[in-house]
Order: sequence, then structure tokens, then C-alpha cells
Amino acid sequence: MSAFRFLHSSDLHLGRRFGNLPEELRGRLREARHAAIGRLAARARESGASTILLAGDTFDTETPAPDIRRQALAEMGHHAPLRWVLLPGNHDSLQASQLWGALRLEAPDNVVLAVEPAPLALAPGVTLLPAPCTTRRPGRDLTEWMDGAGREEGAIRIGLAHGAIRDFAEEGGATDVIAPDRAARAGLDYLALGDWHGSLEVDVRTRYSGTPEPDRFKHDRPGTALIVSIEAAGAAPEVTPVETASFAWRTLRLDLLSQDDGAALLAGRLPEGRERRQTLLRVAAAGRASLAGRTALAAAIAQAAPEFARLELDEAGLAIDCEATDLDLIDRGGALREAAEALRAESLDATRSAAEREVARAALMRLFSYSQQAGA
Amino acid sequence: MKIAALRLFNVRRFARRGVAIEGIGDGVNVLCAANEYGKSTSFDALHALFFQPHTGQAKELKRLQPYSGGNPLVEADIIVPEGRFRLTKQFLGGRRASVMALDSGRLVAQADEAENFIAGLIRGGTAGPAGLLWVRQGNTGLEKRKEDEDERQVRESLLTSVQGEVEAITGGRRMSQIIELCAGELGALVTATGRAKSGGPYAAALEEQARLAEEEARLKADVDTLRAALDRRAGALRQLAELDKAEEKAARRAAVVEAEAAFETAKSHAETLKAARAEAALARSRFEAAERALKGFRAAMERLAALKVERQAMEVRREEAQAKRGAATAAMEQASAEVQAAEREERETRALLARLERALAARKAAEELDALKQRLGRAEAIRARLEEGEAALASIAIPDAAIEKLQRLDEGIFRLRTAEEAGLPSLRIAYEGEAPARVTIDGRALADGEEQAVRDVARLDLPGIGTLHVRANRPAGADGALKVAEEKRRRLLAEISVADLAEARRRSGEAQRQAAALEGLRIKARHLVPEGLKALREEVARRAAVPAEALELKGDPDEVRQALERAEARVGAGRARAHEAEPRRERAMEALMAAQSSVAALDGELARLEAELGPEAERGGQETALAAAHGAAAADLGTCETRAGELEAAAPDLASAEAALRRARSVEEGARQEEERLRRDLAGLNAEIRTRSDDAVEEAWREAGEAREAADARVGAFASEVAVLDRLREALQASRSAARDLYLQPVLNELRPLLGLLFDDVSIVFDEKSLLPQTIRRNGQEEEVERLSGGMREQLSVLTRLAFARLLAQDGRPAPVILDDALVYSDDDRIERMFDALHRQARDQQIIVFSCRQRAFAKLGGNVLHMSDWEPDLG
Repeated sequence: MSAFRFLHSSDLHLGRRFGNLPEELRGRLREARHAAIGRLAARARESGASTILLAGDTFDTETPAPDIRRQALAEMGHHAPLRWVLLPGNHDSLQASQLWGALRLEAPDNVVLAVEPAPLALAPGVTLLPAPCTTRRPGRDLTEWMDGAGREEGAIRIGLAHGAIRDFAEEGGATDVIAPDRAARAGLDYLALGDWHGSLEVDVRTRYSGTPEPDRFKHDRPGTALIVSIEAAGAAPEVTPVETASFAWRTLRLDLLSQDDGAALLAGRLPEGRERRQTLLRVAAAGRASLAGRTALAAAIAQAAPEFARLELDEAGLAIDCEATDLDLIDRGGALREAAEALRAESLDATRSAAEREVARAALMRLFSYSQQAGA
Repeated sequence: MKIAALRLFNVRRFARRGVAIEGIGDGVNVLCAANEYGKSTSFDALHALFFQPHTGQAKELKRLQPYSGGNPLVEADIIVPEGRFRLTKQFLGGRRASVMALDSGRLVAQADEAENFIAGLIRGGTAGPAGLLWVRQGNTGLEKRKEDEDERQVRESLLTSVQGEVEAITGGRRMSQIIELCAGELGALVTATGRAKSGGPYAAALEEQARLAEEEARLKADVDTLRAALDRRAGALRQLAELDKAEEKAARRAAVVEAEAAFETAKSHAETLKAARAEAALARSRFEAAERALKGFRAAMERLAALKVERQAMEVRREEAQAKRGAATAAMEQASAEVQAAEREERETRALLARLERALAARKAAEELDALKQRLGRAEAIRARLEEGEAALASIAIPDAAIEKLQRLDEGIFRLRTAEEAGLPSLRIAYEGEAPARVTIDGRALADGEEQAVRDVARLDLPGIGTLHVRANRPAGADGALKVAEEKRRRLLAEISVADLAEARRRSGEAQRQAAALEGLRIKARHLVPEGLKALREEVARRAAVPAEALELKGDPDEVRQALERAEARVGAGRARAHEAEPRRERAMEALMAAQSSVAALDGELARLEAELGPEAERGGQETALAAAHGAAAADLGTCETRAGELEAAAPDLASAEAALRRARSVEEGARQEEERLRRDLAGLNAEIRTRSDDAVEEAWREAGEAREAADARVGAFASEVAVLDRLREALQASRSAARDLYLQPVLNELRPLLGLLFDDVSIVFDEKSLLPQTIRRNGQEEEVERLSGGMREQLSVLTRLAFARLLAQDGRPAPVILDDALVYSDDDRIERMFDALHRQARDQQIIVFSCRQRAFAKLGGNVLHMSDWEPDLG
């Protein structure tokens, strides 16, 4: 028997709307999620996988808009004979009976709905043990049933589940934790997990594929899918990550020293060229910066921002150093200098609340920027 | 910076001419010349050189142009620490600007670079104050100078320029600019009171936040509804599936069938039982009828016997009653007869008595009539006497009046006669001795001594002698009255038929006596006949008219009366007896009637019983037959009841069977209805879920939530922006205020000695905000600046400027002070003091004074400037 090869992905979150982002970007991000279907199919075909296992959260909500649902099914159908196996996750659990009812009616032949915790033959000698989410919060380990199920001499057994294995669930506070050693306990050859949006190897047989199209800064890695190849029952699976993302969500950590030229450092580390259009970048500045350095950094960010899908500066970790020279740029003396000194003192005054210090600091930076605007 | 020379060409009145003011030195420089000499032109040109860009086309520049046209050229040599430079600007046509280093003769800058160089001079770099301090009557610009500027404008312009210098010194222009920037940004966000400004981005963000929060809540509700619907549908489907399970359905069905069978069995048993019971009931009623017939027959027999006995007794009683009635009747009749007899006797006796009494009455009446008649006779006799008496009285009665009249007449006559006689001749004879012959007078003897009056004629017969006539010869009628009176008396006497008064009196007395007698008679008659004679007479006549009865009187009325009483007593006694007999008879009648009716009733019943029982001979047989039927019915009843009892004992509980059936059916029906309800609910839920899920409410909700978070962040950013801007503005304002204090003091320090020079005991209070002189304290009295004289104000203005200039000089940034007709209002004394002040300041300060007041300014001293012709090096 030749090796069984499939593509493991999850968390497509089709129909996610990104309400917190600007209108024009939303549409692109949403479209990119839909396009992930095609990219997954392409990766599968390229690597010779015949089956794509989606480990839950294919849809972002229990009631995706009909266009989302139908277009997704149409796209999947388009890639026949590739076979898609859809597992209900916590976002699109079986409680969304309307969704699954509609999918049942509309799904093309090459789309399989893994809605029953029962063995499912993927190929001769290959059994899929799905653990569909029955509700948003099942409150129990849904993979428990796999322990004794579908044991057949020489059969490859693949588990498919959605949820947290530790308390690092994507949305936190999970009580329904999947046993991390479920693969070993149930004698699975591979346990394909979904929920965690970053790719993660739990053990040699247990993996989170991560989302093929990232939707947040949290994981800071490109969207991937896993090509899994299993030679035979009991053999260690061979896993190859493949890139699938259209947009990159990245956090650029910029550790600065007071004398560093933040803007220059940034310039060297920003992605180049057309890549920027597909990048959502958060520059997390940390360390210390001079007033001028900080202003220059902000200006550099503002300058570069139009080239990016999104470019934002997170300077929560950045402390501003105010040197005499910075203040000199405001004024060498006189009332303006006095005001600047007062604000600086206030921003360093440990007896004041952090909020007050922050306000004073921001006011000082603003004064600096105004003084540059006002010119000589 | 110091100015060393000023040259101009083709400026205003110097058309195609050049003038130069050379040798401007340190200290006080004075250009004192008459009007229209070109002072102001020089001043304006200098101003334009420093403050107007050479590229400008401003109206002010046009003003520099001569009437004949041409391009104004201005040039100044300046000395700054870096060296000596020559600044040149040509305006309008062939415009250019250049800076040349005089020491090296090198062209330092041209055009815009030259402008920058000049700007650097007057602004002193990024933060320096102005390099020139201008004071002129009017504004520092080149705008048209009004000849009739009023004091207010003069003062304002002066003070404004002071303020400008102060700000320049304190670096306040940038400060103001920054504050404006800050306030502008803050003002776009919030109102003066710190609330989000409507229409501003902050307010918009707040509104957006609120809108999104509302939207999110609304969508959340939708999502919750949807999820609830989904949950409910899942539950419904689960229930439905359970209800739909075949074995459950079959079990429910089987339970119903079984219950139905049990119920049917119970029901048919119940039917049989009912029939048996009906039969038993029928037998019972038959038995009861037979028993009733038998008992009835026997009872009738007994009753018949009893009735017969009773009938006999009743007959006896009837006879007794009849006898009693006869006796009572007889008694009553006897009593009636007695009563009749007694009554007859009573009637007769009563008639007799009546008659007797009538006779007695008649007799009495006759007696009374007699008495009446006698009384009448007496009365009539009295009456006759009365009439006689009255007649007699009438005949003698003289009225009292007649008597009195007669008396009066007598008395009159007597009086008259006496009087007459007294006048009448009288005769008296005295007879001699016994003379027997008597003289008669008128036939009558005349007595001796008798006096006889002679009336008319008296005839005296004198016996023996003859007849003597004596005539009185009295006049006729002398005795008329007497004669009338006598005639009256005579008629009266005749009338009353008396002779004289005495007789009249006599008759009157008689009449009174008779009248008294008559009165006595009348009293007597009244006593006798009080009712009056007429009534008495009528009574007598009435009674006499009553026919007299036969006045037979037989027997004694008392006896008769006693006989009557006796008869009456007998009548009463008889009646009482009859009364006594009456009730007895009544009772006897009643008893008889009762007896008779009882007898009749008994006879009726007897007849009925006889009829019922039939002929007496067959009665025995009938009773036997009835008894036999009764026995048979009793036996039948026993059989039936036994059977019914057996059936009843064996009966299954129908009610339980029915209840069981009902329950089984209700279980099935309930399941069916539940199923139906669930399907109906499902349909509703399906529709609801389809609608909502087609609307993708959850997606919309998540989107709204994310958007709301973004809006929250934005609002937060705005809030902190506001805080930051607020803080910044506050810091800037505080520092500006502090800086003003900081700069103000030195200015005041500089100003104080100058003021001391000019005024005794004057101090100035500056307004903190505007830095303008606000009040002047003179000799301890505060005075408003507005109330100061124009002269004093301009002096103050100049002094303030000098103070600033001095401050700048101390700061290493000396600036020339240029005064153009700045002391127009000052009097001679003051102007000299001002000159002193200027000189005092000018020790380390360049001061350039333009003035037209030649004589006054001659005392200023200092370096006197002159204008000389100048030809520019146009090459």
C-alpha cells in the first residue's frame, strides 16, 4: 500500500469581517480568506495529496451569509476530485444546525461533512475519526471516543478534532481540553487539530496546522498548511508545512537605545516592494528613544504607511528620553523651554500616576512636533 | 546691529535723484529738517529695506515710487559683530537684493539669500528679538499717514508696537504660534468647557462609538435570539426523534389496543349484568305486584268485615240523634205556644191600659178647659172695666199743658185788669147812715164803700133818683189786650170744657185717680193672663175644638198595669224557654246529619268493597289463586336475583378499564400532538433561523463588536489627545505667564531710572497679559493710562522702547532705536528731559531720531545728520 497523503488545515474563518479595520482593507482580507480555499487546493495538488482535512472553524460564524457558504462550496467543488473533509469547530459547531443542514443540501460530492463521531473511511485502509464540536463549548473532551474506535489490523487511523489541548485556546478560558496525548492513547497515526491559529507541533503525531490565512498579529508567522504523508499504520507521519497565506500579519519588534536612529533601523527591517501591500505590520517599538528619535520614527512610519495594507506603531514599550539637545530644538531658553522642562519633569515624576506621566510625556512630544512645525 | 549709512535713489520725492545720510554713529543721531525735506521718505525707505521683500508688489512699495515712475533703490550700511555689510534692495522694476561685505567687498548674498540675511538681522535668528526698534508717530508700516490721526490711534499704534517688541523679546511669537496650533487642534475636538465639540472628530468618534455599541447590542440580541432558536430547534429535533422511534410508537399503539380489548370485555360483561339486573328488577316488580294484589285482597276482606260492624253502630247512633231532635223540637213548640198566649194577653192588657189612660187624659183636659174659661171670663170682665175706665178717663182728662196755659192766661188777665182798673174811673158809694135804697150799677147793687171802676159806661140806677150813666170815655181799644187774653181764656176753657182754672184742676186730680185705678186693673189682668188675653182665648178655642173622648172609665189603671207586667213576664219566660230548646235542637240536628253522612260513606265503601271482592261465593277461590301467584313470583325473583348477583360478583372494573384505555389513548394522542407541535415549532424555528442566518447576523454582530472596539480605541485616543493637548496648553500658558513676569521685571528695571529722569515719583503698573502699561501710580495715586496726556503716553512709549533696547543690548543683541517724529506732544521741559533720557540710553545704544521740530530738537544735541546728494553705483 502506498503512503496516504493529505493536507491538514483549519480555521479558515470564512466570512470574517474585520470590523476593526478600515473599510477597504476589510474587503481584501475577507476575499483573501475565500481565496485560501484555492490556495489550499493548489498546495494539495502540488504535493500529491488527494484529501484536505479542515479541522474546524471553516466558517467564522454559525450563520455565515449565504454567499460566503455557497461560494466556498462552489470553490471546493471546483477542485474535484480533491476531497474536502469539513469538521464542525467551535465557531461553526453542530449547534449551527441551519449551517450544517444547508451544507448537507448544497455540498458537492467531493465535500464530506464530518458531523458524526464515527469512523469514516477515507481510503482503503485509512479511517478518519472525527470529533465534531457539538456546541460552542462542549465542556468535555470530544476525542475520548477515538480510544477504542475503528481499530482494524493495518489500518491507518487519523483523528480530526478542534479545540485546545492546554489552556492556550485561541479564545482563552477553555474547560473542554483535548487530552494532549490523545494520539498515543487512541493509537492514532495522526491527530489533526484545529483552533490554534499558529502552526504547532504538539508531538510527532499531533499537530495544529494553524490557519492558512492569518487574521491577527498574535502568532507572527506566515499562514501555512501541513502536507502529511503516512507510509503505513504505526509509521511516523512525514509533515511538510506549505505556505498558503495571501496576507502577512507581522509584528516587528524594534528594540531601541536612546541614541539609536529608530527611523533608519526601521527602514532596514521593513519588507520590501510589493510585499508591503500584502502586509499588515505592527511595529512594536521598545526600549528608549530620544524625543527627536521618536518623532522621526513616527514620521517614518507615517511616511511608509501608505505602502502597506496596514502599518501601525505600538510604542507602549518605548520610553522617551529627553535630552537637553532635544529641548534645545524646542527653544534654547525662554517660555517654551520652560514649558518643555516642566512637562519633562512631570513625565519623570515618580510621585505622579502613570497616566499623568504619560500625558505629560505625550504633551512634551507634541510640543516638540509643534515647535518643529512653527519653525524658527 | 548698528546702522552706519542710509542711501536712497528714486524714492518718492527724490525722482531720479539720490540722497545719502552718512556717518550715522553710536549714540544719538538726529536728522532734523523741515517738513517735505525728505525725512519721512528716508524713514519709509529704511523700513522697506528691512521689512519688505524686494520681490514684493505691495501697495506700500508703490508708495515709494516717485510720481514720475522709476524703481526705488535703498541701500544701508550696517555694522554687526560679524562685520560691516551693505544691504541693497531695488524694488518694482529691476528688482534685486544684495548683501555685500564692506570689509572684503565680497558679494555675500543675493536675492532670496539676501532676504534671509536681512531677516536674520531683524529677527536675530530663530529665537532672537527684533534687531530694530521702531518708534514713529503712527505705524511702523508704510501705510498712508493720516494727518489728522487722533490720539487714540496714536496711542494704540504705539502700544501695539510695544507689545510686539515685548513678544519678540520673550520669544512669544513662536509661543503664540504653538499655543494657537495647540488650541486649534484642541478646539477642533472639544469646546471651551471640555466637552466634545459637536461636529468635531471627537464628537463624531463618540457618536460612532455609541452607534456601534447600540448596533452591537441590537445584533447581539439577534444573535442570542438565533442561538436560542437553534438550541430550541435542536431540542425539538431530539424530542421529535424520540417520539418518532418505531418501538416507542408500537408500544404506545399496543398499549392502546390492549386497553381497548380489556375495555370491550368489561363493557360486554357489563351489558349482560345490566340485562340480568333488568330481569331481576322485572321479576321483583312482578313479585311485588302479586304481593300487592294478595295483600290488597286480604285487606279488603278485613275492611269489609270491619265496615259492616261500624255500619251497624252508626245506624244506632243515627236513631238516637233522630230521637233527640224530636224531643228538642217538641220542647221548642211548646215554648212558642206559651209565648204566643202570653203575648196575646199582654197585648190586650196593654190596650186596656191605653184606653184607661186616654180617658183620664180627657177628663183632665176638660177640667183644664173649664179653668181656662173661668180665667178668660175674669179677664174679659177686667178688660171691660178697663175699657170703661179708660173711656171715662178720656172724658175728664185735661192735658197738663192746658192747665198750665190756663194758669198763665189767668195771671195775665189779672195783671192786665189790675193795670186797667188802676186807670179806670172808679166809683165808690158811701151810704149814709142806713139809707135803704141801694144804688145799683148795671143792675147790681153797689155795696157801701165798694169801689167800682167804670169802664165804658156804667149805668147806675140810683133808686129814687133816677138812672145815672157814667162814661169812662176811655179811648177805644184801651182794653184790647185784656180782651184778647180773656178771649183766649174763654176759648181754652171751652175747649177743655171747664169753667175755670180751679175746675180744671179738680178735674185733673180726678183723672189721675182714675188712671191709678186703671193701672191696678191692668196689673191684675196681667197676673191673671200672663200669656195675654188673645193667646188665652185662642187656647180655649183650640181645646174646645178637640172632640171629647168617650170618657168611660172601667177599672183601675194600676191593676191593669200590674196585669200587663205579669203578661210581659210570661212572654219573657216563654221566650227564654224557646231559646233554651233551640241549641239543643241544633245539636241534635248536627248529630243526626253526621250520623247520616257516616252511614252514607260507609254504605259507599261497603258497596265498593263488595264490588271489588266480587261475589261473596267466589272470594275464597280468588284469595287462594292470588296466594299461589304470589308464591310463584317470589320464586322467580329469587332465581333472577341470584343470577344477577353472580354476574356482579364476577364483573371486571369497567371504570378502571376505561381509565386505562383513556390513559393509553392520551399517551398516544399526547405523543401525536407533541409531534405535531414540535413539527409546527420546527417550521417556525426553521423560518426564523433561515431568515436570520441568511442575514448573517452573527457575522454582522462580530463585525459590529470589532468596529466598536476600534471605536473605543479611537475614543480613547481622542480622550488622551484632549488630555495631552490640554496639558500642553496649560503648560505653555503657565510658562508664558511666568516668562512675562521674568522679562517684565528687567524691562521695568530698565524703565524705572528713565521714568525717574522724566517724572518725579511715577511708577508704572503693567498689565500681566498684554504687558501694556495699565496704570500709572503718581504721588501714590493710581491713574488710568487712558487718562494720561498724549504727551505723557508717547513719552512712556519711547521710554519703554528704550528700556527694551537696553535689555537687548545687555543680552548682547543691540538694536537701533529709530524715532520718527515720536515726540510731537511733548512740551519743552519734558522734551529736554526726554533728551536726557535718550542720551543716557545712547551710551551703549544707537538711536536715530527724525524730527521736523528743528528748534526743539536743536537742544537734543548728539550727532547731527545731514542729507547729501548721492548717485548710486548702478554698475
